[in-house]
Amino acid sequence: MIAALLDRLRQGDRNALARLISLAAQGEGLAELQASLAANPRSARVVAFTGSGGVGKSTLIGKLIPLVRSQGHKVAVLACDPQSPLSGGALLGDRFRMGSSTDDGVFIRSLAAQSGHGALADHLDVMIRLFETVGFEVIFLETVGAGQGDVEVRRFSDVVVLMLQPETGDDVQWEKAGILECADIVVVHKADLPTTEQTAAQVRAALDLSPARHVPVLRVSTKANTGHAELWQTIHALPLRRQHATAASLLLESAIAWFKERYQAAESRHDAELVKLIEAWQRGETPTEIAAQSLLNTLTRAKP
Amino acid sequence: MDHPIRIVLAKVGLDGHDRGIKVVARALRDAGMHVIYAGLWQTPEAVVRTLADEDADWLGLSLLSGAHMTLVPRVLELMKQANLDNVGIMVGGIIPEADIAKLTAMGVAKIFGPGTSLDEIVGFLKTPREPKP
Ligand code: B12
Ligand SMILES: Nc1nc2c(ncn2[C@@H]2O[C@H](COP(=O)(O)OP(=O)(O)O)[C@@H](O)[C@H]2O)c(=O)[nH]1
Ligand SMILES: [Mg+2]
Repeated sequence: MIAALLDRLRQGDRNALARLISLAAQGEGLAELQASLAANPRSARVVAFTGSGGVGKSTLIGKLIPLVRSQGHKVAVLACDPQSPLSGGALLGDRFRMGSSTDDGVFIRSLAAQSGHGALADHLDVMIRLFETVGFEVIFLETVGAGQGDVEVRRFSDVVVLMLQPETGDDVQWEKAGILECADIVVVHKADLPTTEQTAAQVRAALDLSPARHVPVLRVSTKANTGHAELWQTIHALPLRRQHATAASLLLESAIAWFKERYQAAESRHDAELVKLIEAWQRGETPTEIAAQSLLNTLTRAKP
Repeated sequence: MDHPIRIVLAKVGLDGHDRGIKVVARALRDAGMHVIYAGLWQTPEAVVRTLADEDADWLGLSLLSGAHMTLVPRVLELMKQANLDNVGIMVGGIIPEADIAKLTAMGVAKIFGPGTSLDEIVGFLKTPREPKP
């Protein structure tokens, strides 16, 4: 069945593409799909948009679609919304915000992200490969929200755009949660609102604490229709991480990010074992090598 | 394989009554379905494209404007052209008695008028259907 669908896909059958994405979402025939798609080059630019619910991810993507199309690129969107852990149901409303289109060069798919599976739906890698097979050059991913699971977002994408908005009063929260670390670009969205400048300055200051990595901070307002061209230019200027990275370096990067995520969680709940370990190291009672191993053990055992 | 029912809910044309469709959307989600909410002011072409790309099992249209006898046949026609005849379609809203039989004959699986209980709609979707000829 999958072989037949893949044949139809390569002949440009849109319904076959839609069906294959469903199969991937349900985790059916994954091995066969992966095997037949593995040889394809990583030809697309995958851009992930993350940030709290309501920050305007869907609306912004909806604005970028025509911009990307005007440059002749085919664009696909995988938009994730949360699935209820109780009923298993989901209200997938991103597409409504993105605006409707009958352009063959645009493909929007709504996906339910299971709770506990991070900020994205399952098996996105297979879906990305399906789009690449039929020549989609730009793929936008919308996460269910910032915070947990951002490590995975980075793994699947070339560029991660973190979206924040002014006046939410949660500036302390994003600093603490360490979500800035996952971002390649930070967008202060809804720049039509007051206090945009303060928010942008706070983000800039937080980012400048780790000067090794240059992360642009852009102000965008979809309401006032400003900043989109500059955002797209900035996205486009960044290197394609998935193409250049080796599997080993991707794993290392993901592992480090995972490690930090765990560490921050343990730190914020004042994990007793962690505190003890740090103090012992600070007093010089345990050498770094041993402390590092205990740290790894503690964080691996701890619930996230 | 058992997967949650995927249903696209949309309003076609200039009809701005969206209370009913929002109530239905929430009820279906709470019943464990995956509801793709396409929202207001959709053209028949855009609805059918959404249906195709979302690989949905069902399309639910809500019409309270009186334009159902032009819009629903148009959607059905486009679905046929897009090879989506296997997707079930149901309609809700203000549909006069006389039009119900006509729409059913065209291929609409079921029509739900004002006052329909949400349980009835959920129950209908969860009842296994006979495959279309
Ligand atoms: C509230 C209302 C409004 C509100 C709408 C607010 C909103 N955002 O929805 C406002 C004030 C804006 C409004 C405006 C107008 N309205 Co008005 N409005 C109504 C009213 C009183 C109730 C509709 C409602 O919300 N019901 C509650 C919901 C929960 O019920 P429902 O939509 O019927 O949905 C249920 C079922 O139908 C079904 N269902 C509905 N959709 C779907 C979809 C699926 C997939 C399924 C399975 C089931 C399903 O399940 C739901 C639960 O039981 C009706 C009269 C009536 N009694 O129906 C008139 C009515 C619909 N309006 C009418 C008119 C004429 C207008 C205006 C043109 C008036 C004007 N001249 O300005 C404007 C047009 C606005 C526009 N842009 O389209 C007429 C339509 C006449 C017709 N079709 O021939 C009605 C019937 C009043 C009348 N008797 O004349 N209206
Ligand atoms: N003031 C302002 N509001 C916006 C802007 N962009 C989007 N919004 C609003 O923000 C809300 C959430 O947008 P949405 O795209 O659904 O956010 P998401 O949950 O991050 O996908 C909607 O009510 C939008 O109308 C903007 O540039 N300025
Ligand atoms: Mg959204």
